[in-house]
Amino acid sequence: MSKKEKKEKKVKGEVLQEDIHLDIPEDEIWTYQVPGLAAPHINKPYKYYNLKKAIFVIVILVAVSLSIYFSVMALQNETFEYTQLENGYEFTNFSNTGYLTELEIDYVAEIEYIPGNNDPATNFSVAKDENKPVTAVREFALNCDDKIKTIYIGANVESVDEKAFYSCWSLQNIEVDENNPNYCDIDGVLYNKDKTEILCYPCDHDEYLRQKYGYETELFTDDITPEYERDVQTYVVPSTVTRLGVMCMNYANLRKIYLPEGLKTIETLAVFKLHERKNEWETTPSLSNVYTYKNNNVTDTHFTSEEVLGEIYLSLPEGLEFIGSDSFSYNQNLQYVYIPASVKEIGHHAFWDTCYKEDGEIKGVAVMNVAVNEEEFAAKIVGDNWIPQYDYLLFKKNIDINYSAERAEK
Amino acid sequence: MSEKFDKAVTTVKNFATEVKTHWNTPAEGKYVPYKEYKDVVIGVGANYTGSKILEYIGFWSSCFLIMYHYKLPYLTFSVIGLLNMPLGYVTALIWWYVCDNLGFLPKKKERLIYLLYGLMMFFGISSLIFDYSRLFDQSGSFITMLNSFEGMNATACFKTFGTHFLYSGWVGARNIFWRKKLLPKYGRYKYSLYCDVIPKCVMVFLIGWLPVYNIPDVATRVWVANLLFATYNVFGFGNVLEECTKRISPNLQERILIRSYPVKISHIFNSILAIILPAIVGMLRHKWADINFYRFVIPITFTISAAFTMYLAGRIKERIPQPPIEKKVQIKFWDGMLGVLKNKYLLINTIVGLIDALGNGMLPFATILYFYTFRLSGLPYSLIVALISFAGTPPDLLSPYFLKRFSYKQIMIFYQLSRAIGNAIIAVAMWTLGDNLALCGTICIVVLFFMEMTKTVPTTAGHDMGVRINDYQMYLSGERLESFGGIFGWFTGPITTFIGLIIPIFLLKYGFNSNWEILFFDGSRRNIVVIPIIVDTIGFFLMSIPYFFWDYDNKKQNLVMEVLKRRAEVTEKKAAEEGKSTAGSYKG
Repeated sequence: MSKKEKKEKKVKGEVLQEDIHLDIPEDEIWTYQVPGLAAPHINKPYKYYNLKKAIFVIVILVAVSLSIYFSVMALQNETFEYTQLENGYEFTNFSNTGYLTELEIDYVAEIEYIPGNNDPATNFSVAKDENKPVTAVREFALNCDDKIKTIYIGANVESVDEKAFYSCWSLQNIEVDENNPNYCDIDGVLYNKDKTEILCYPCDHDEYLRQKYGYETELFTDDITPEYERDVQTYVVPSTVTRLGVMCMNYANLRKIYLPEGLKTIETLAVFKLHERKNEWETTPSLSNVYTYKNNNVTDTHFTSEEVLGEIYLSLPEGLEFIGSDSFSYNQNLQYVYIPASVKEIGHHAFWDTCYKEDGEIKGVAVMNVAVNEEEFAAKIVGDNWIPQYDYLLFKKNIDINYSAERAEK
Repeated sequence: MSEKFDKAVTTVKNFATEVKTHWNTPAEGKYVPYKEYKDVVIGVGANYTGSKILEYIGFWSSCFLIMYHYKLPYLTFSVIGLLNMPLGYVTALIWWYVCDNLGFLPKKKERLIYLLYGLMMFFGISSLIFDYSRLFDQSGSFITMLNSFEGMNATACFKTFGTHFLYSGWVGARNIFWRKKLLPKYGRYKYSLYCDVIPKCVMVFLIGWLPVYNIPDVATRVWVANLLFATYNVFGFGNVLEECTKRISPNLQERILIRSYPVKISHIFNSILAIILPAIVGMLRHKWADINFYRFVIPITFTISAAFTMYLAGRIKERIPQPPIEKKVQIKFWDGMLGVLKNKYLLINTIVGLIDALGNGMLPFATILYFYTFRLSGLPYSLIVALISFAGTPPDLLSPYFLKRFSYKQIMIFYQLSRAIGNAIIAVAMWTLGDNLALCGTICIVVLFFMEMTKTVPTTAGHDMGVRINDYQMYLSGERLESFGGIFGWFTGPITTFIGLIIPIFLLKYGFNSNWEILFFDGSRRNIVVIPIIVDTIGFFLMSIPYFFWDYDNKKQNLVMEVLKRRAEVTEKKAAEEGKSTAGSYKG
């Protein structure tokens, strides 16, 4: 079809559309049915009017009732959920009744309510089936629980996912049965049995330490004393440890961490967002420094004196090979980082937001110190935005990297 | 060349003279002086900006204030929705009763309604003071069921339930009281500003300053936050001045002119603020996580917008004489219900909406991309958001062409399929390139850009079709029955409530709860984002199917309009014969 024909057809079409005129007799204006459309229904009663009304109401009631029923079924959680495995049961999900503060993971358990007791805090007991041992704990089995203070891991548990106790804000202690062949605890912190991996430093472990060392209340930033910092906010990772597990220390209230020189791996989000209370309503980043010690016979995680730890130097250990993504993110109080030559891989955002600008000055990690030169560093595996950035005009700018740097004195 | 230039200069001069002459008094045949154009630009701009600022605050899971500071469990919002659903039906019925009684109620009925609302408020307040859950057996299945809800316990459930009673009674009673008091003076659109603006400002400040987010017990935090936001929601600050401009002049040309220029220009204030606010966020020490954003930045900018809005609200006038909403002819409740159920096209839209519910409970993908993948804040965030928002503007200009060239059916099928394909690409990129932030993020941004581009024309077509569907309803029932369109929600509400649980339950399995920072963990982010996108993609494919049955085209619309015109002709003729007024009617 030529352009002209197309144009003519289009014009004709438009005219046709405008020319539509329906000659509807006056008495048919309310009943005239346009071809292809339903007939109007105006000013005349509906057939089966009452029946239709009844059906309408019943359908709505049934729909609402079914919806509520199925939704409640979907939303209702058992307090303890398990999946059967070949060698026992996997603890998959925990939904707190609101009053459980201690959790024992050893046998399949369920809540039994005590009839007649109307106090929700005491009207239940946890019944265990000792024929059904729990052998595994799935990731996110506890997720954002804010009541549980102590977790006990039984002798039969063979595997605990590193993300099993995620964001348990009140968790102070993890205790492991001494007969468990796979895991152990050191003063409430979860380790694998041979203590080469630290797996979970409970979010509220500082509360346990306060009680242990006789501090009645939590001290706010400006009131913190050197003794409080030493007893509650300093942690010595035992010399056997070679790996900091995934998310193992996230959200902890720590100012100083002493790492052993034999440490090889710091996993994803391992030291993520450590914080302390600034006042009753606000928190502030707490981690100020990471140190490495050389003594390879350290078992006590409580810092007593530097002499016990042998030679100590600032920042990450010589021999460290892997720094996971977001491993030190959001620690704006961190003062100094030195990347040793042994590091082979750094994950993305490993030191993200560890600095900020105040009064025109960069605070926190203001310079990144790297042991090797630029060429050697380029050969390493480095993730996006591994280096912190500070506000520059209205954009962001990487902090400077000091290649071939000497490690700073402690 | 110089002739053209002279002509242009003359045009500008004439325009300037015209504006100067009619600055205070409108030209003949027109109703709006140019001074009011200026008021529209600033007043609507301030009102629109204020309403947009409030989008930073809301009791929904995708609000950063809620997700970061309040740390409320994700599934809790589904539980609250479920608790509020039955009462929603009851309050809708009461509202209909009020409408059936023409809003301005006879004294006796008004007292009855006030009593009802008062009782609801009384029950609500009493349930906040007393713990009614203690009336039940604490070991019984009812209470243990309530205790098992994520983030809730029996006490919190009862208090949430009571809060909804309080809210519904309060809103209902205020609505009658203020409508009666202010509507005659300020018109049907603006009146709410006069009674709501001050408490709204106070609530915006309170939300930032009340340390509700520091309540350690999550169940208590949930019900107190729900109460706080319910109170906040009692007071509105909608984009009402823009609604006024739809009735600013009885002259259609003048109305279109005002809506095309001053109103569109007024939106620039919001566009500027949308760039400035994130830039301010970038200057805060903890960026988006800094509570000072909600303590200072949001309340102050909102209060300034509100002040400008109120200063200019009185100057923007409604000039089309029309009876208040309550005075319009009412259709019998059941006739209205059955009338809209006959409308096939409303049914198709309802089915599409139902399928769309598959995506309910999905996390805001773009927000996750910006905050947790790119870690954006400050100007870079503003620029990317502005870039993607801008993507819809060029196609908007071409909307008339697309609407003429393609049928509604074709446009909507293309729209759903394009969204399905876009989502599928994002899912594949995130699944396979999750660790490569730069490449994965770039692909996602490009796809989002194209998805935004392909959204504008279908949106315009949808609005246009909405009007046509009402025309069709008018043909079917003799009335547009717009308010009865909500009936479909009565049927779909229960189903969407249930379907909307699918994604949140999935997310919970992958570790997503009240602490969104799990999204920093690559493995979890991948599952939490990709699985819902796949569900959503399936939804978009399915949503294209009902449109294959859409057969309402231009020809049918023209025929429907002919029938409506003919009805108007005949009824006006009869009215004239009977000596009745036909003012305000339309023959076409």
